[in-house]
Amino acid sequence: MLSDFLFRLRCLFRRKQVEGELDEELRSHLEHETEKYVKTGLSPEEATRRARIALGGVDQVKEECREARGVSLVESAARDVSYAVRILRRRPVFAVVAVLTLALGIGANTAMFSVMDVMLLRALPVKNPQELVEFIRWHPDGSMMTNLPYEVFQHLRENTTALSGIFALTSDSRVFRAGAGSERSTVHEVSGSFFSTLGVNALLGRTIDPNDDLPNAEHHVVVLSYPFWSRRFGRDPSVVGATVRVNGAPCTVIGVMPADFFGVDRSRLPDMWAPLGSDPGQVWVLGRLKPGVSIPQARAQLEPFFQRALESLRDGMKDWPAHERDAFLAEKLLVHRATTGTSGLRWYYWEYSNTLKIILGMTGLVLLIACVNLANLLLARSAARSQEIGIRMAIGAGRRRILRQLLTENLVLALSGGVVGLLVAAGGHRLLVTFLTGNLERVSLDFRLSGRLLGFSFAMSILTGLLSGELPALRAAREGFLPAMHGKLQLRGATRLPLARKLLTAQVALSLMLLVGAGLFVRSLRNLATTDLGLARENLVLMSVDPSLSKSIRDRREFWIQLTERLTALPGVRSVSLAGDAVFGYGGWNTTIWIRQPDGAEHDTHVPMNVVGPGFFETVQIPLLTGREFGRQDQGKSPPVAVVNRTFARRFFAGENPVGKRFGNSGAGSSSQIEIVGIIGDAKYGDLREQPQPMFYLPLFQNLEDRSYQVHVRTSGDPAAAIAAIRREIEAIDQDISIDRVRTIKEVIHSLLQHDRMFAFLASVFGLLALLLTSIGIYGVVAYQVTRRTGEIGIRMALGAQRTDVLWMVMRETLLVLAVGSAVGLPAAIAAAQVLRSLLYGLGPSDLPAIIWATATLAVAGALAGFLPARRAASLSPMDALRCE
Amino acid sequence: MADERIDLPQGTLDLLILRTVALGPHHGWAISERLQQISAKVLQVQQGSLYPALHRLERRGWIKARWGASENNRRAKFYELTGSGRKQLEAEADAWRKLVAAVAQVLETA
Repeated sequence: MLSDFLFRLRCLFRRKQVEGELDEELRSHLEHETEKYVKTGLSPEEATRRARIALGGVDQVKEECREARGVSLVESAARDVSYAVRILRRRPVFAVVAVLTLALGIGANTAMFSVMDVMLLRALPVKNPQELVEFIRWHPDGSMMTNLPYEVFQHLRENTTALSGIFALTSDSRVFRAGAGSERSTVHEVSGSFFSTLGVNALLGRTIDPNDDLPNAEHHVVVLSYPFWSRRFGRDPSVVGATVRVNGAPCTVIGVMPADFFGVDRSRLPDMWAPLGSDPGQVWVLGRLKPGVSIPQARAQLEPFFQRALESLRDGMKDWPAHERDAFLAEKLLVHRATTGTSGLRWYYWEYSNTLKIILGMTGLVLLIACVNLANLLLARSAARSQEIGIRMAIGAGRRRILRQLLTENLVLALSGGVVGLLVAAGGHRLLVTFLTGNLERVSLDFRLSGRLLGFSFAMSILTGLLSGELPALRAAREGFLPAMHGKLQLRGATRLPLARKLLTAQVALSLMLLVGAGLFVRSLRNLATTDLGLARENLVLMSVDPSLSKSIRDRREFWIQLTERLTALPGVRSVSLAGDAVFGYGGWNTTIWIRQPDGAEHDTHVPMNVVGPGFFETVQIPLLTGREFGRQDQGKSPPVAVVNRTFARRFFAGENPVGKRFGNSGAGSSSQIEIVGIIGDAKYGDLREQPQPMFYLPLFQNLEDRSYQVHVRTSGDPAAAIAAIRREIEAIDQDISIDRVRTIKEVIHSLLQHDRMFAFLASVFGLLALLLTSIGIYGVVAYQVTRRTGEIGIRMALGAQRTDVLWMVMRETLLVLAVGSAVGLPAAIAAAQVLRSLLYGLGPSDLPAIIWATATLAVAGALAGFLPARRAASLSPMDALRCE
Repeated sequence: MADERIDLPQGTLDLLILRTVALGPHHGWAISERLQQISAKVLQVQQGSLYPALHRLERRGWIKARWGASENNRRAKFYELTGSGRKQLEAEADAWRKLVAAVAQVLETA
C-alpha cells in the first residue's frame, strides 16, 4: 500500500498545505450550494444559511476528514506532547524533581545493565567471535578450571575436524626496559596461532606467527598493545623494529595492535604479547569451531585427545597421593562458547557469586521507590488539577482523551528522566567497574552507548512512565473529575487520599529494606576492618625483591644476609626479615605433609606453608607461644626444622606438646623428617574472613631458591617515610635488582576490603536516596492534605482546638504511615537480607543494631518530613483559614 | 418527499462515489448533486459524510485529486478514478449485485 503510506506522509509533513486545501474545498462546496439556492430564488443570506445547514458543522466535517486521512493518531499524539511540555513548564519545580527522581532510578538500572552487558554480552572485537570456544577441565569434585596443562593443548591441536584453529596463552609479569627506565609489565605469552585464529591484524608491523613460536627461535619478538605503546612510546611508529629488553633478554618489537584489541579477556589487559616458547606449564586454551560444528560435537571429538593428554602425564604424577592422581585422570573436557572471550570477572562475579545479582536487586528497589514516589506526586497533582480537567471535559473532551493526555505527560516526564538517566548511567558504570576491578586501566569494560543500551533505557523509561502514571490515571477515570469542580470544602475522606497513604506505606517499607541492607553492610565492613589479624597491622612494609636479573650477585645467601643487615641499619627501621610469601594477603602455597598417627599409620593432608627467614615472627609480631624461632643456626646443612601455629599443633598433636615431634613433606615415609621447634599464635594468611587454619613454616636459608622473596620491614614510625630510603639502599647494592609491589599491611587490608566497601557504599547511597525520596513523598502528601483541609482546620480552631491538637491531628497520619510501613518492611527486609548472609562478617541478617539504626533513621526523617507542613498547619490563624474557602 | 428518503446502507457510499467519478472527473459538490439527481432524491446522502469518504478513498488510492476550474470558474478539487479504483469498483459492484440477488431470493422463498 505504497500510495496509502505516501498519502499519510504528505498529510503529516505538509499539514498546513493539506489543511488549506481542505478549507478551500469546503468553502468551494458551500459556494456552489449557496449558488444553487440563490438560483431557486432565495436571498443570499438565506441561501448561505441553508447551505451551511445542509453541510452540517464545518468543523466537524473537517475533523472527520482528518480522521479519514489516517494520521489523526499521530497528530493528536504530537499535540498531546506539546501540551504536556507546556503544562510541565508551568510547574518547573515539580518537573525538575520528577525528572531527577526518575533519572536516578532509571540511570542506576541502566548503569547495572550496561556493566552486565559489557561483562556478559559484548562480543570480542575479532573475526566471527561467535565461533570461538573456551576449553575447561571439569574435576570430579564439581569444580571447573580454565588452566589446562600444556600437554592438553598439544594433543588438542592434533584434531583437525572440529576446530579451524586453536591457541594457548598464559600471563606473566616481566621487567621491560627500553632506553631509560624499566618497569614491570604484563606479558601475555601466546602460541603462534593466536592472532591468526582470532583473525586480527596489527595496526603497525605484523603479528606473531607460528615461526616465531619455535622452540629454538633465534630472535625473541614482542607485539605491543595500543595503550602500552601510547603510554610508553607516545605513539611513535618508529618503535617497530626496535630492540627492547624483556627480563634482560633482547627482543624485537615486530608490531603494535589496534586500539580496540585487548586479547581475549576483558579483565586482563596485557601490555604486550610474546611467543609462548617451550613448556609454559599451565595455559588457557581457546579455539575456533569449524562452520557447522556444534559444541556437543566438538566436545565429543576432542574428548579422546584430552584423555590421551592426561594419560601422558601419568608418569609425572608418581609422587602424588593415589586419590588425587585418580581424580586428576578422571577429569573431563568441557567446551564453552567464548563469544565474549574468557573472563575472570565473569566467572567471579556472575557464575560464582551473587554480587551482581544483589546489586541488581538494590537498583530495582530504587527504581520501584522512584516510581511509587512519582505516582504519589502525580496523584496529588491530578487532584489539584481537577478544575482544569473538569473544564476540558465540559467542552467535549472524552474521558479516554483526557487519560491519554495524562499518560502522555507521564511518558514525557519518564523519557526526559531516561535521557538524563543516561548521564547518570555513564557515571554509575564507571563507578561500578572501578569498584569491581579496582582499576580502570587494566580492563576493557568501558561504557559505550550501544543500541542495546539505548533500547534498554528507552524500555525502562516507558515502563516507569506507565507504572507511575497508571495509578493516578486509573483513579481519575474511576472517580471522575466533575465532583472536584464544585467547591473545595470537602469533609469526606476524599481529602485523606487513602491511596496516597498506601503508596507512602509501600515506600516506607521499601526504603526500610534498603536502609537495613546498608546498616548490615556498614557494620560488616567495620567488623572486617577491625578484625584481629594475629599480626602487626601498623608500621609493616612488604616488598617483592628479585635479584635474578643482576649478574653481579653470585652468592644468593650472601646477598640476602647483606640486604637484611643493611636495611636493619637504616634509621627508622626496627626489624627486617624475609619470606617466600607475604605474611598476609593473596594467600600462598598449599602443600602436602605426612603425619604419623598415634596408631603408627601415616596420614597425609594439605596445609598452607611458608618459608621465612630468621626473626620473622618478631618482625611481623606474631607471638611466639612455645619453643623458639628460626635463627642463624638453621641453614643448609643443619637438621630440618619447622615452626607451626597453634591450630596445627591442636589439630595434629592434640593435647600434647608438639615441640620435638616430627612430620614430613617429601612424600610417603617422610613423616619423621622435620622437627618442630616452636609454636606461634594463629594469624590470618590470605583473607580477612579466614578461619584459623593449620600452618607451618620452614627456614628460608634451609630452602633457598633462585627466585624473588618478600622483604618485610617493621618501621618505628610511618612506613611511607621509610620506603624511599629502603629503595635507595637496595638499589645501592645493584641497580638491576627489581623492587616490586611495595605495600604496607594497611594498604593490603584496604584493597582486600574493596569489595565490601563497594557494597557498603552502594547500599548506603541507595538507602539515603530511598530515604530522601520517601521524605519528599511524605512532605508532599502531607502538605497537600494540609492545603485541602485548611477549611476544616479553621473550623476546628474556631471551635476551640489548640495548636497542639491541630499538630497532632496532622502528624497522626504520618506516624501511622511510618508505623505500618515499618511493620511491613521489617520482616521483608530480614527475609531479603538472607541473601546477603554469605557476604556479612561477624553478624547475621537479623543483626539488631543495624535494624534499630535503620528503623530509627527512617522514623526520624519521616517524622521530620511530616512535621514541617504540620507545623505550618498549626500556626494558621482561624480567620485566614476560613477565609480561604 | 421526506418520508421516501431511505438512509444509505453502510459502506455503499464508497461504491456510489466510485461509480460517479468513473464517468469522469467531478468535484465534491458535483458528486453530491449528481447522487441526489440520479437517485431522484431517494438516497439520503449526508453532505457532511461525503468529504471524509472522498478523502478515505483518495488515501486508499482508488481516486486521485487535482485542482481545477469548475463550471462557473471557481477553483475546485476534482476527483477521478484510478486504475486500481476501476478494479475496486468492478469488484464492489459485483459483490453488491450478488448481495441484492441473495436477499431478494430469501424474501421470495422464506
